[in-house]
Amino acid sequence: MADFIQLLFNGLVTGSILAIAAVGVSLVYGVLKLVNFAAGDFLTLGAFVTVFLSVDQHVPFVLAILVAMATIAGISVILEFTIWRGLRKSKAGTLSLFLVATGVSLIVRQLILIIFGVGSRKFDIDQVKTFEFLGAQIAQAQLVVLVFASATILGLGLLIAKSPIGKGMRAFSDNPSLASVAGVNVDRIILATWLISGLLTGLAGVFQGMVQGSFESTMGWMLLLPIFAAVVLGTIGDAYGALLGGFVLGLVMELSTWSIFFGGVPSSYKPVVAFSTLALVLLVKPEGLLGYKARSI
Amino acid sequence: MINTPLFQFKDVHAGYGDVKILNGVNIEVPSGSIVTIVGPNGAGKSTILKAIYQIAKVTEGEISLMGKNGKVDIRNIKPHKLVDVGIGYVPQIENIFSALTIEENLDVGFIHGQGRNLEIRKTEMFERYPDLAPRRKDRAGSLSGGQRQMLALARALMSYPELLLLDEPSAGLAPALVDQLFEELVSINKSGVTILMVEQNARRALEISTYGYVLDMGRNRHEGEGVKLASDPEIVGIYFGKK
Ligand SMILES: Nc1ncnc2c1ncn2[C@@H]1O[C@H](COP(=O)(O)OP(=O)(O)OP(=O)(O)O)[C@@H](O)[C@H]1O
Ligand SMILES: [Mg+2]
Repeated sequence: MADFIQLLFNGLVTGSILAIAAVGVSLVYGVLKLVNFAAGDFLTLGAFVTVFLSVDQHVPFVLAILVAMATIAGISVILEFTIWRGLRKSKAGTLSLFLVATGVSLIVRQLILIIFGVGSRKFDIDQVKTFEFLGAQIAQAQLVVLVFASATILGLGLLIAKSPIGKGMRAFSDNPSLASVAGVNVDRIILATWLISGLLTGLAGVFQGMVQGSFESTMGWMLLLPIFAAVVLGTIGDAYGALLGGFVLGLVMELSTWSIFFGGVPSSYKPVVAFSTLALVLLVKPEGLLGYKARSI
Repeated sequence: MINTPLFQFKDVHAGYGDVKILNGVNIEVPSGSIVTIVGPNGAGKSTILKAIYQIAKVTEGEISLMGKNGKVDIRNIKPHKLVDVGIGYVPQIENIFSALTIEENLDVGFIHGQGRNLEIRKTEMFERYPDLAPRRKDRAGSLSGGQRQMLALARALMSYPELLLLDEPSAGLAPALVDQLFEELVSINKSGVTILMVEQNARRALEISTYGYVLDMGRNRHEGEGVKLASDPEIVGIYFGKK
């Protein structure tokens, strides 16, 4: 029982981080049809900017996080104007966009090494403090992440569901030409998408860094496959789907290590579990968990 | 026509890339009227509407709207701003947001409803289209063909347009629904909305129209009062032989 509570809690923490990162990727795909393979490395950059500001420069932790999030959002917007806009104008296909994003990802990873140096880093937070809950050990850092990640997800869900910008984004993902006809300002939607996804990516990086304890320049890269699995699992381009997909995969990945299942899957095999789950779901429901097929008339 | 029309095409040339489709089209839409453009497949009817939204590229001519605040040069207005000057458009295909709920389709239609009340307008639309009301939380993609067309109209009406552009509103509808649709268009028109539409179902559309144009090969061929065009044996023979 204690094992189960422990893994459930770990799963929720992992799931909430995956969910936040996956929504960013999903919004960008939905609006821009861009498979943003650079998301993982921007996640890492978010964590490194935060550690640089808070540990090296003694900026208060929360302020450092906010600056890091704004940095990733800012870079995302700059890339929109310098790269993505031009590529879309010249009608670059999904594959070309994907390859360019992969290039961006490699550059960001190298820049992190050049600017912040090799080796692992740590936030200046209490990594050892734990609480006991129904026999499980709940780390304070994990609890903080879970609380703030959940609040972020709630706020994000409301933003996407209710705000004009959220409705505009979903309308644009669904039917870009009709959205424009209906008065949706396409340029504003695209900017909002990069801003929101940049903020989320930076935040997810900080959360992942807090949960891991120490992290290296490959942190986000390692997380990229589960993030994409979450996006596809939930239905690609659907923001709610990405949230759901993130939580489902987080839980499945952690619970798969439970010893009750033939001694449990070794934890290095978690990505394999993620992709097996994805494959199984897609076999049954090819359009993803929240996907649906419009009635043909 | 004596008065300045609400909406006007003057010698418009337009096309896609290097391909010219419209070769000098003239259309006048008086305020309060229903004007219909008919013509064979590929005549350039949809292109006329797409030219307004810069989906087709206008190379020559003038497109203008006499709005409340004077004449507006449509060629200089970004497509998403046309809602603001009072133009609503229901495209020929993919004219709803199928992944969004019915209610959200209406919300998106209201994005520029400056100073007005969204809930009041939605209630009005659900009263006008009672079939949609019980399904407001369903995804629009689950609607039947007739209901979709109603939703497409409702979405466009959400922004209180002065001029409504319709591309083949009756396409794909069962015969019984076609009658219902044209009645609905007359009712929308009576509520004060000027309509410019393109229709395959030429005779039925012209019968409810104040004025009609026959377009062929990207040029004006004939024009006249709707009822007269609909019963002109020569035009009926050439352009819409099929009943
Ligand atoms: N996006 C496009 N790019 C290139 N050519 C196009 C495009 N859209 C339409 N055309 C061409 O322009 C011509 C006129 O098309 P348009 O859709 O205006 O005709 P239409 O009168 O509306 O016909 P229909 O009755 O079939 O709807 C056709 O030859 C069509 O192939
Ligand atoms: Mg057409």
